[in-house]
Amino acid sequence: MGKKQKRGKAGNAAQYLTRNQAIKKLQLRLSEFRRLCILKGVHPREPKRKVKGANKTYYHVKDINWLAHEPLIQNFRAVKVHERRVSKARAKANFSLARRLMRAKPGYKLDHLVRERYPSFIDALRDLDDPLTLLHLFATLPAEGRLGISASTVDKCRRLVLEWNAYVARTSSLRRVFVSVKGFYYQAEVAGCSVTWLVPHQLAQVLPADVDFTVMLTFLEFYATLVQFVMFKLYHNLGLRYPPVADKSLEAAAAGLAGIMKDIAGLAADEQQQQGEQQQQQQDGTAAAAAALPDVVQRLGTLGKKLQELQQQQQQGDTAAAAAAAEDESEELPEIDSGGGDDSESEADSEADAAEDEDEEEEDEEGSSAEESEEDAAGSEEEQQQQQQQQEAAGDDDDAAGVSGAAVAGGGLGSVDPDDDAGLCSVLLQGCVFWLAREVPREPLLLMIRAFGGTAAWEGPGSPLQEADEAITHQIVDRPTQGHKFLSRAYVQPQWLFDSINHRVLLPAELYAPGKVPPPHLSPFVDNEAEGYTPEFARTIKQLQEAARAARRAAAGLATEAAFLQDGSAADPAAAAAAAAPGEDDAVAEKVYQKELAKELGAAQGVEAGDADQGSEEEEGSEQGSDEEEDAAAAAAGKKRKAAAAGATGKAAEEDEEAAMADIMMTRKNRKLYARINRAIEGKAERVAALEQRKAKLAGQQQQQQQVAAGGRLKRQRKAA
Amino acid sequence: MPKRPKAQAVQPEPAPQSSSEEEQDEQPLGEELDLSSEEEFADDEGASEEGEEEEQSEDDDEAAAEDGADEDIRQAIAEYYQAASEQRRPADATGNGVPAETSGREHESSGRPLDPGSDSSEDERPSRNTIGDVPLVWYKDEDHIGYDAQGAKIGKSQRGDKLEQLLARNDSRKALRTIYDAYNDEDIVLSKEELRMIMRIRKGQFPHVEVNPYEPYLDYFSGDVDPTPIINAPEPKRRFIPSKHEEAKIVKLVRAIRKGWIKTGKAKRAQQQQPQVYLLWGDDDQADSAKTGSHLTYIPPAKPKLPGHEESYNPPKEYVPTEEEKAGWELLPPEERPGYVPQAFECLRHVPLYANFIKERFERCLDLYLCPRVRKKRMFIDPKTLVPKLPKPQDLQPFPQTLALRFSGHTSRVRCIAPHPSGQWLASGSDDGTVRLWEVATGRCSAKWTLGEPIMSVGWCPNAALQLLGAAVGKRLVLLLSGLGGEEVEAAARAACKVPAAAAAGGEQQQQQLARWESRPDGGLELHTQHPVRQITWHARGDYFASVAPTGATQAVLVHQLSRHSTQNPFRKNRGRVQRVAFHPLKPFFFVATQNAVRIYNLAKQALAKKLLGGSGVISAMAVHPSGDHVIVGSEDKRLAWYDLDLSTSPYKALRYHSYAVRGAAFHSTYPLFASSSDDGTAHVFHGRVYADLMTNPLIVPVKILRGHKVVDSAGVLDCAFHPTQPWLFTAGADGDVLLFCN
Repeated sequence: MGKKQKRGKAGNAAQYLTRNQAIKKLQLRLSEFRRLCILKGVHPREPKRKVKGANKTYYHVKDINWLAHEPLIQNFRAVKVHERRVSKARAKANFSLARRLMRAKPGYKLDHLVRERYPSFIDALRDLDDPLTLLHLFATLPAEGRLGISASTVDKCRRLVLEWNAYVARTSSLRRVFVSVKGFYYQAEVAGCSVTWLVPHQLAQVLPADVDFTVMLTFLEFYATLVQFVMFKLYHNLGLRYPPVADKSLEAAAAGLAGIMKDIAGLAADEQQQQGEQQQQQQDGTAAAAAALPDVVQRLGTLGKKLQELQQQQQQGDTAAAAAAAEDESEELPEIDSGGGDDSESEADSEADAAEDEDEEEEDEEGSSAEESEEDAAGSEEEQQQQQQQQEAAGDDDDAAGVSGAAVAGGGLGSVDPDDDAGLCSVLLQGCVFWLAREVPREPLLLMIRAFGGTAAWEGPGSPLQEADEAITHQIVDRPTQGHKFLSRAYVQPQWLFDSINHRVLLPAELYAPGKVPPPHLSPFVDNEAEGYTPEFARTIKQLQEAARAARRAAAGLATEAAFLQDGSAADPAAAAAAAAPGEDDAVAEKVYQKELAKELGAAQGVEAGDADQGSEEEEGSEQGSDEEEDAAAAAAGKKRKAAAAGATGKAAEEDEEAAMADIMMTRKNRKLYARINRAIEGKAERVAALEQRKAKLAGQQQQQQQVAAGGRLKRQRKAA
Repeated sequence: MPKRPKAQAVQPEPAPQSSSEEEQDEQPLGEELDLSSEEEFADDEGASEEGEEEEQSEDDDEAAAEDGADEDIRQAIAEYYQAASEQRRPADATGNGVPAETSGREHESSGRPLDPGSDSSEDERPSRNTIGDVPLVWYKDEDHIGYDAQGAKIGKSQRGDKLEQLLARNDSRKALRTIYDAYNDEDIVLSKEELRMIMRIRKGQFPHVEVNPYEPYLDYFSGDVDPTPIINAPEPKRRFIPSKHEEAKIVKLVRAIRKGWIKTGKAKRAQQQQPQVYLLWGDDDQADSAKTGSHLTYIPPAKPKLPGHEESYNPPKEYVPTEEEKAGWELLPPEERPGYVPQAFECLRHVPLYANFIKERFERCLDLYLCPRVRKKRMFIDPKTLVPKLPKPQDLQPFPQTLALRFSGHTSRVRCIAPHPSGQWLASGSDDGTVRLWEVATGRCSAKWTLGEPIMSVGWCPNAALQLLGAAVGKRLVLLLSGLGGEEVEAAARAACKVPAAAAAGGEQQQQQLARWESRPDGGLELHTQHPVRQITWHARGDYFASVAPTGATQAVLVHQLSRHSTQNPFRKNRGRVQRVAFHPLKPFFFVATQNAVRIYNLAKQALAKKLLGGSGVISAMAVHPSGDHVIVGSEDKRLAWYDLDLSTSPYKALRYHSYAVRGAAFHSTYPLFASSSDDGTAHVFHGRVYADLMTNPLIVPVKILRGHKVVDSAGVLDCAFHPTQPWLFTAGADGDVLLFCN
């Protein structure tokens, strides 16, 4: 028989200490112990057997021993002693001594803790969510000496935050953005780790009284150190100097991100020269957009003209639609400028959006423009035209899909593999130039636009462009009405940008027009299928995404073909020289594009040459036919359902009984687990059902409203008659 | 000569002051009480006094220079006179119409020079009472309050009643500064000076105006050159030579500063402000080690859940709760309310500040360092894998499935049923006091016996030559002639039931305590026992039958022999309350179920063979498998336990599927079936196959849940029994019906 074990010498009793035991062992005060725990990342443990009682906090004895060897304890003691000396000197009115002492304040560093807690860089990246969120919070807090939030702390946070954002924008590692009631959620992909952080809305924070800021500041102290080192490594990997020098004047003008990015870009120029040609081209798109812009403008301008010409040709026969031509021009011009040469956004809209959206638009038109009653005729024609376009789109699916896809696919159409998410993100907004209105939050939008390859301009110092610049393709506004409008650009609400980024397609700008309630902003972090409920708008977006994907694939194919052609012709030295000429590629693309346009318009003419009325009748007829079919099918289905229901109840009862009997033979553990799982499943189903129910209710209400509105319209028409 | 302590210099002062007090006493009350204003005045006065003091002290100094000792003596004499005049003055005041008593006492109590400037507790008024620190209530009923220094009693003063006191209070001008000292039984009038002192104490100042806490510091070891130094040694030389050690140090510092090792001023500050960062993680990215510095596995903090659609500033409309829903949530207690209520804003500029942002971050911080972290393995289990794979009931047929017949007739709950061994008849006993005989095929009630009391149990005698039906009624066991099997059988039964008078008489002496055998007028037999009988059960051969009377203590189990009309008590003592008994179908074994165990006795060896351990509930039903190797036991804790007697004394399988207490359990005699019935109104039928092979465990499969009985007064199916040959089940319900379920 072995020696009898003494109580408390082995097992949980010896392995775990309560908090008070730990404090006694370390000879610290509770506040010091807490501080040390925060800095060292020591947390309580959950022993299997709580020897000293269930209501105690337990620490592992190894953790405490580890704390006991921490050199910081000595440093803290030195700080404490120093503070005592200073206070003593002050109390004795020996101010000169106090001042001298204050100057020689013992400091301490947390570098070794970072290394200890995160032995590898990846470890640190994995735990970066909380640090970034806290830094972003403190970067927006007011400095409050009473609570220990010093101005230098806030400044430091602000600097780190800007550096991080600049890095994210520079490397195009931003993946998702979600604007919630709580703030902006960002998700970036850094070195294969996804880092998610939350930034509060840019409003003055109110410091709550029931929050212990010392705890948060201790966390902040460590987090700031950690993020500094992480940033150093990230910048180092990019070959950039750290810390970057922020442009003071821009920072003062609340364009700090731009200031830091300027510095980074400047440094990056040397690096760029060493890198390949392709890279440089990309850089042209992002950093040096302003330089590249005149070319684009010129090209787009010529395209617009050609399109107008084509349209005029098309409408020569059709005199009735001539009036609408001007409007069409005005409507379609912005879309011409929007992407890398895509004319048919309206088609994309008409295809992608549900018919309701159009209805709404019509209503809007009619509702809002009483003075525009004269234009009603033109409007109706326009509608007809739209319908035709729709038909046409339905007619040759491949083409339409390609073109509408091109509209939504955005900037880097040809240069990126549609399966390469990172590549796609870096060029999604390529060629788009945004003007940020005064009322939109500049910093987040600047980050997003730059991270996705776009160019942003704003009012104030540091802006690369002026508001009236022709190059601007999108103006982001958040005001009920937009007074003066440039025809050459699309006016969108900020949500357009968030949604476009999240879904990797350029959504139709009409949905996000200023003054309109935009479509719902969906969370990019949700897997709708796993959740069991897919919102309506998610389906719409899915269609758009598919179109965009197809377009990208097609464009990628084109690009590879072109490359192949180039390679082939490289054998011919003269041709090679021609291919090497910079304008050549563009010329080829333009030709292809023009051909497509002509084809499309030809098809549209063909349909028009047929009969519009007939077409509409056909549509109606088909609708009626489909209605009848539906009715019949519904009736049959109803019968079946009844028959099935009778069988089903019997079957269900049988199944119930089987389940009950299977339940008998389960072990108790399994039975509980089974019940728990089932409860979870049921809960989920319940939530989904609640959503469905609410949705049905809302749909019913909307229908009623529509009916009422339709009645009103009829009355008005009669009165007018 | 060191400066004289100030107290001495001040002492002459109080006298003129107190005299001015007396004059002030004549002033009206309101002014008198306005101490705060007077306080200032007093302070001023104090200041002026200080000034005087200084002058005086200077005078004193001068005087001291001339003749110090004389001055001291003169001073002391002056003090004495002043104290004496102060004593005299109140006495004069009595003549001026001031209440004689109080002033007199005051005068008495101040039988020593009053020194308001003194800190000593000894200088306080001495107590005239000498009882010490004892509770004053001890003297409550006495006519004295204690004893004076001479040991004489001090009588209680006539303080008068409350009204008088009030009047006196109103009359007296000093009422508001008069306090009553219960210990000495006297009123004390506080002087102005004392009041001022109190006020100063309350303000946290020194009690005495004259005290100056900031006396000029007297430096004994000053830098002034004393004409008469203590040490007269000459200054050492080293004081005049520069230190070589210091010089070396300075040279070192200068060199360090020149070379830039030590930074001073601006350079130093700039250096401090630069972030001290370097490449912490080298290029050799080591594989992430799972261990922390404390050699424990690193548990990363749980990441918060990422926001869903509902957190959006512009969620889909269906995510936003309606007003009614919100109102409903507000009615809920706070802990049940949803933590986050989705909100919708029409545009980004309408989104307000999220008020809880800092609070939530703070809570996250707390979670990070205060919450124990545990690595939990999340299992993704398909719930279907948890459901055991059972053979389909269809493959295990036959078993009772459908309700075939309803035997109606009993007017109260049917407690017990017993199918006839031939399978054609069914006997049932009910709370209405009747035993009925039913024809199974038709459901016709062919006979009915009224026995007066609720029938607790019925059982057929297995002896086919007798066709006797036993019933447990109250304290009686009744054997009834069933009338089946024709006249011969009936005659035999009558003969068997005839109790010879001699046997009855002779056996009386010894059997008096156990049971009294009597013939029934209708030809049956009756046994009168001492205790109410709950169960009757027959041995397979039909000669012995046993009865259970749970309240019978030592006589709980009785075994009766029909042929000899004798009764015996096999157990001298029962361990616990006996609930059920059963005979082994083949061997000489006897099962006794007490409330929490089943004991199996070997009747041949007269010894305990086995004890089956029950669960926590009271055993309410027991059935023995036809092979005799298996027992099922139902208990009131809803459990049905299957015991394999070859295996263990604990259940092979304990099934808990009834929602109320189990009331009946039964094995089929030929088919591999068993059933249980319960107060939840159901009977469960199981396929229970037993293998001859000892290595294979019995196969238990639930095959059918039979419903049909109503639950009356929280009693459901009280008994169940299988048909002896067919796979049919009879159930007896509390609703007064007996049901037959067929396959």
